[in-house]
Amino acid sequence: MKKSIIIIALLFVGSIAAQSKYQKGMQKAFSLWETGKMLEASQLFERISKAEPTKWKPAYYAATVEILGSFGLKDETKLTAKLNKAQAFLDVAKSNSENNPEIIITQALLNLGYIAFDGQKYGMTLSGKNNQLYAKALAIAPENPRVILGYAEWNMGTAKFFGKSTKPYCDQIKKAIELGKKEKNDIEFYPKFMLSRAEEVLKRCEG
Amino acid sequence: MKRMLFLLCTVCQFSISAQTTISGRVTDAKNNPVFGANVYLDGTYDGTSTNEKGAFSFKTAEKNAQTLVISFVSFETYIKTADVSTLQNLQIKLRDDVNTLDAVVINAGTFEAGDKAKVTALKPLDVVTTASALGDFVGALQTLPGTATVAEDGRLFVRGGEAEETQIFIDAARVFTPFTPTTNNIPTRGRYSPFLFKGITFSTGGYSAEYGQALSSVLLLSTIDEPDQEKTDITLMTVGVGVGNTQKWNRNSFSINTTYINLAPYLEIFKDRNTWKKPFQSLNGEMVFRHQFKDDSMLKLYSAYSYSSLDVLQDHINFEEGLRFGLNNKNLYFNASYKNKFGHNWKYETSVSYTNDNATIKIIDDLVHSNDNSFHFKAKLKKRFSSRARLSFGAEYFITNYDESYTPNNSNRFTYGFDNNIFASFIETDIFFSKNLAAKVGLRAENSELLNEFTLSPRTSISYKSGTNSQFSLAYGQFYQNPNNEFLKFSQNLKAQTTSHFIANYQSVKQGQIFRVEAYYKDYTSLVKFDSNQPNFDTNFNNNGSGFAKGFDVFWRQNGKIKNTDYWISYSYLETERDYRNYPTAARPGFASKHNLSIVTKHWIEDFKSQIGFSYQFASGRNYTNPNEPGFLNNETKNFHNLSFNWAYLIDQQKIVYFSVNNVLATKNIFGYDYKDTPNSNGNFERQAIIPNADSFFFVGFFWTISDDNKSNQLDNL
Repeated sequence: MKKSIIIIALLFVGSIAAQSKYQKGMQKAFSLWETGKMLEASQLFERISKAEPTKWKPAYYAATVEILGSFGLKDETKLTAKLNKAQAFLDVAKSNSENNPEIIITQALLNLGYIAFDGQKYGMTLSGKNNQLYAKALAIAPENPRVILGYAEWNMGTAKFFGKSTKPYCDQIKKAIELGKKEKNDIEFYPKFMLSRAEEVLKRCEG
Repeated sequence: MKRMLFLLCTVCQFSISAQTTISGRVTDAKNNPVFGANVYLDGTYDGTSTNEKGAFSFKTAEKNAQTLVISFVSFETYIKTADVSTLQNLQIKLRDDVNTLDAVVINAGTFEAGDKAKVTALKPLDVVTTASALGDFVGALQTLPGTATVAEDGRLFVRGGEAEETQIFIDAARVFTPFTPTTNNIPTRGRYSPFLFKGITFSTGGYSAEYGQALSSVLLLSTIDEPDQEKTDITLMTVGVGVGNTQKWNRNSFSINTTYINLAPYLEIFKDRNTWKKPFQSLNGEMVFRHQFKDDSMLKLYSAYSYSSLDVLQDHINFEEGLRFGLNNKNLYFNASYKNKFGHNWKYETSVSYTNDNATIKIIDDLVHSNDNSFHFKAKLKKRFSSRARLSFGAEYFITNYDESYTPNNSNRFTYGFDNNIFASFIETDIFFSKNLAAKVGLRAENSELLNEFTLSPRTSISYKSGTNSQFSLAYGQFYQNPNNEFLKFSQNLKAQTTSHFIANYQSVKQGQIFRVEAYYKDYTSLVKFDSNQPNFDTNFNNNGSGFAKGFDVFWRQNGKIKNTDYWISYSYLETERDYRNYPTAARPGFASKHNLSIVTKHWIEDFKSQIGFSYQFASGRNYTNPNEPGFLNNETKNFHNLSFNWAYLIDQQKIVYFSVNNVLATKNIFGYDYKDTPNSNGNFERQAIIPNADSFFFVGFFWTISDDNKSNQLDNL
């Protein structure tokens, strides 16, 4: 009896230790990211994702860092290399968590990376896909503030391209901000709503 | 018990303190340090990034054999499994990843359009927004170098080759009758709507061993895997109407597209030079069903039906009452393709196509009825050994059953025909020696049952990247093609016609800018010759014909240097002579021009939400025979000019008005001359110029898309 308790206790300790390793790793990656060490952050996420092949978040964040780093690149070689890498991470994330709205909107963000680089080459095929992705994410999670904000931003971009007013989407952004403020999520390392960014987008929308 | 716990604790302690340091230095192939590479033990949290000197060092508590992984963008991932204690002071050279965008591309002779292509000469949108193309993908390809403007025909004439020397494939399956039938001087169009395709590869020579029965060129079209969304498209045009619909459910999607074209109202307003008994009308329907299986394998079923008819009286110098031509054509095309991955980096692709073409042609009072049943089956396997070596091989079988009957006015019917079955197999390998040097070597074997002939065609090409933006390529290939139906229906005692291609290519690509120049030499042998005016029952045929074509093509495209403007320029120089058909001597054939130039520009005007485009095409004169002078093909027509204009206006995101004029300047182009069969009283043969039916052509269309998101439009449909 004693023995089995000890074994159970040891197992428990073991699992806590493994868990904390993951937590420590993730926390370190986020702190690297916050201090602007994008490369190190992305590589740590990559390592965690390889070590935890059934978790979606490390791969999701590895992809997100790569995608965000691709905006503004002038060299198509670098861009496609980065986005291909991001796509591979997203595919891992997708296989670990099907129909996850956070992953779906990140896929749309990845597509936007291509469209922003060369709208003529990529816009035709990818903008339709993005409309679909946002529609799908919205159907799964109609109250998710990141989904609402992402969709509104995407719509603003299209409206600008066609020389139309972005006003109709401001209400959506406001709604996202409201939901974002209220949002409480107990899941560790779950994507957070970037309030300051959302307020910036709202300014652009109304301005 | 206590002792055991103590033991456990000490073991734990021991394992924590017993860390191994893993260290080394990472360089590229030229010993330059690689900064920022991700170095880690696979499946653990232990790892680090390399510093400016390429060095790395980290501690691990792992024991025994572990896998060290070093990964960095644009290099191949390095993997080494060894005991951790040995992973110290490593010197690691990373190999360049040859699959990145800046690696060399094997591309002699080839133009690609679509997202996947590394260098896109044409973008998907171009196929449908080029002014002179009138929404026909073949029309857009005619603005690329290597093609000739043969405006009265409309098909692809590549580098001194006849139109029949180009073969078209949809999802790797052959299209036996890709063009709508027309009569003299009315250019044909591709039967299939351009927006069903996501990628177009157009090769003007030196293509892969996978493709055969084409002497000059292949055009490869791949259909869309998954449509973006459900939608309905409505099209109203000055020449007809169209409706399309796409549905998606689960892992399936279905698209249907129909168009009805009738030229009667247009011809009422803008009369042309013909007397139409029944103006051209056609009904086209296309359907695509796609299913994606759970394991990501893909099945596509594509079918297209078209019906066209016309009846016209054309002016002709040898027929006082005009030349009557009537046509009734029914065409069915079916294509199924399936692709799958299995095992370790294996890919399997198979496709089947079936074509039935049934035509009745009336020429004056004679009737010709033809029925063509053709079938193509193909299976291909691809194995990727590494990112540097790939092998593909496969086999295919073509069946053509052709029957024709000829009924002269008030006379008995003749029937004739043939079965043309060909078995072929091919094997090809792609090898990357480095990021800068790659080669493709292939071999194709064909056996024609009809001609009882076995042929072997080697193909090879090599590309070398000489600088960051530039590369050189060389290609050689031998190509066989069975004689055209036009000959085979009267004689099967013939051999395959053959040609060899030698190609040298230089290409320089920068952001928004492509320059390429390609020189070629083509040597034709075993071309069909015959001894009558037109091939018929009594004609004697042989394979003693020969010819050559040589020249160079230049392509320049720039996008965005001038704000909101995209333009490209293609120039082709061609020198060719052939001694074939019933030619008494070698001469430049009547379809070939020495110089071909096309300039296409597109400009987006933000304020008017409009895209305007111009395209200009120039071709130097073409040969014709003037019987009043000695010699054969002894005269040249004047030069050909055509300036076209188009304007697409976005009313809103889902409604577009499109307007285009072909030959804005109404240039009087002449394609050649018909001479009277008999001389007049002065002993001269009188002539009549072969000219287009109308100098200019107007087109106005309204395109409306209805979809859930209210955003898509038919820009890609134009």
